Amino acid sequence: MSEKKYGIIASFQTTPDVFHASEKVRDAGFLYWDAFTPFPVHGLEHAMGQKRSKVPCFTLIGGLSGFVTGLIIVWYMNAHDYPLIVGGKPYFSPIFPFPVFYELTILLAAFGTLGGMFLTNLLPRYNHPLFDYKDFHKSGDDTFMIVIESRDPKFDEDRTAEFMAELGGSDITVITAKE
Amino acid sequence: MIDSNSKSNYSKYATIALITGLVFVFISWYGMYQGILLHEKRNLLGYLIGLGFWTSIIIGMLFMTLLFYIFKAKWPIIIRRQLEHGLSAFPVLFLLSLPIVCIAKLAPDYAGVVWKWMDPGYVMPTPDGLKVGDDTLYQAKSVFLNVDFFIARTCIYFLLFFVVSYILRTCSFRMDQDGDSKWSSIGIKTSAGTIFFVALATTFLAFDWFKSLEFHWFSTMYGVWFFAASMRAALSVTIIICFFLATKGYLKGIFGRGHLYDLACMMLTFTIFWTYISFSQYFLIYTANIPEETFWYVIREINPITGKFNSWFWVSMGLIFLHFFAPFFMLLRYKNKVTMPNTVFIACWILTFHILDLYWNILPGKKAADNVLGYVVRELNISLYDVTSLIGIGLICMFAFFRSMNKAEAIPIRDPRILASVNHHE
Repeated sequence: MSEKKYGIIASFQTTPDVFHASEKVRDAGFLYWDAFTPFPVHGLEHAMGQKRSKVPCFTLIGGLSGFVTGLIIVWYMNAHDYPLIVGGKPYFSPIFPFPVFYELTILLAAFGTLGGMFLTNLLPRYNHPLFDYKDFHKSGDDTFMIVIESRDPKFDEDRTAEFMAELGGSDITVITAKE
Repeated sequence: MIDSNSKSNYSKYATIALITGLVFVFISWYGMYQGILLHEKRNLLGYLIGLGFWTSIIIGMLFMTLLFYIFKAKWPIIIRRQLEHGLSAFPVLFLLSLPIVCIAKLAPDYAGVVWKWMDPGYVMPTPDGLKVGDDTLYQAKSVFLNVDFFIARTCIYFLLFFVVSYILRTCSFRMDQDGDSKWSSIGIKTSAGTIFFVALATTFLAFDWFKSLEFHWFSTMYGVWFFAASMRAALSVTIIICFFLATKGYLKGIFGRGHLYDLACMMLTFTIFWTYISFSQYFLIYTANIPEETFWYVIREINPITGKFNSWFWVSMGLIFLHFFAPFFMLLRYKNKVTMPNTVFIACWILTFHILDLYWNILPGKKAADNVLGYVVRELNISLYDVTSLIGIGLICMFAFFRSMNKAEAIPIRDPRILASVNHHE
């Protein structure tokens, strides 16, 4: 079992501290890093320079494929494989079977959203290296944390630790990941 | 604080809007007079379109205010004040509706000029020349559809709208002066207690003014359609008002990206809701396939004599693709919901097609003609009096808006949750 550095974590005591520290980490050009807060902080995603989530794309793809699936189901069953007149309506029409298209659109859009959320969050996973940090539970209680990952191109153990100290972080710790 | 200088500015705008508005409205009234003299319904329907457009907007604003209160919404408090200015237009709308609502009293010789059922002697455009008074459906519906009750109902709707909006405006404006939080709870209680009745009044207003143009027709979804269309129109107008106030007026630096995003999300919601309702109405009538109901859609699709598409078919397609799909896909995109010019463009787009939607609901009708069916369908055309009604009634609503702006602060400065609204994030 080899050990590999995962990243460096620093703790902050107040919301403005972590907010301004995030802005500085963003401006320093780091790409692989994250902030942990006990409660949602409005505008932190802008301070972190995060882009919009990719989940809506999955929703759109799911919704469109649901709509097309509904169209194909109705066309194949009612107009192609076994043509059947129901209620004097045409074999295939976009109107009377619309609830089928509509429900499938919603269903697959919801699946797309759920699946997209799991994919973009890299879930499910059994463990995360950060859970090995003994004080990590404090980030759900009263402490704000920023972690810069070692896979970031700008990561350098000593210089990044100094940088975190400059930002006002305390308890600067190197996290190792067991492999 | 609004200083005395800016106050006089609004009075100036109010006066200009009132005078020009009255000029346009007088032209429309002249058109109505001509329509009655020449027995031509079209000019009067143009006035109904203009009136329906602005009534739908102000009713939508009333619903938005009620909803904001009921949900104790924090973010729209700065927007609510602008809606409250809009609500001051109910009395003028009532006055403007009187000439057409009381048409049977004003022109007794041609009482059925707008709503056929108002004149029992009106010969309906059928081959056998049946009179309205002898029509079985009219006789069955005459308890509800009679002139006196019709006028009384319109008065009741507007009285209700006025009372509710008066209470809400008073609560909000008084809070500016004494900062007492009891006004907020009075507003919430009033909203919760009256939204049911406001919804009923809106439904029956749509039945009376628009649906009863074809009194043979049945549709229980019509009132919801009007509500959905009103909300879309009101949200679009709210976004345009906030755009002007945020770029040139007193909301500069207050109305932000978060407010715009939430309003645009509501606009997307009601775009979908309008489609859901409009489609469901069509879907149910298509599936049931009963001639008493389908004729309403048939005259909006084909010329019954030749079986060819008439102009309303293209309007119907325009409503599907340009009133739903275009704004739907435009509003799905995040950037269009947070960039002011894009959102305002979509709002103008929706308002334009809302007018077309009203045309589609109001104009098509059976005109007496010498053919086997006894009627032809009135085709789409835009008359001068449509334009003057839309502009004139709009300017008079703007007069009410500007006049109300003088009476209150720019935003409810002493509302307990005003800071949450000013600092609102997405």
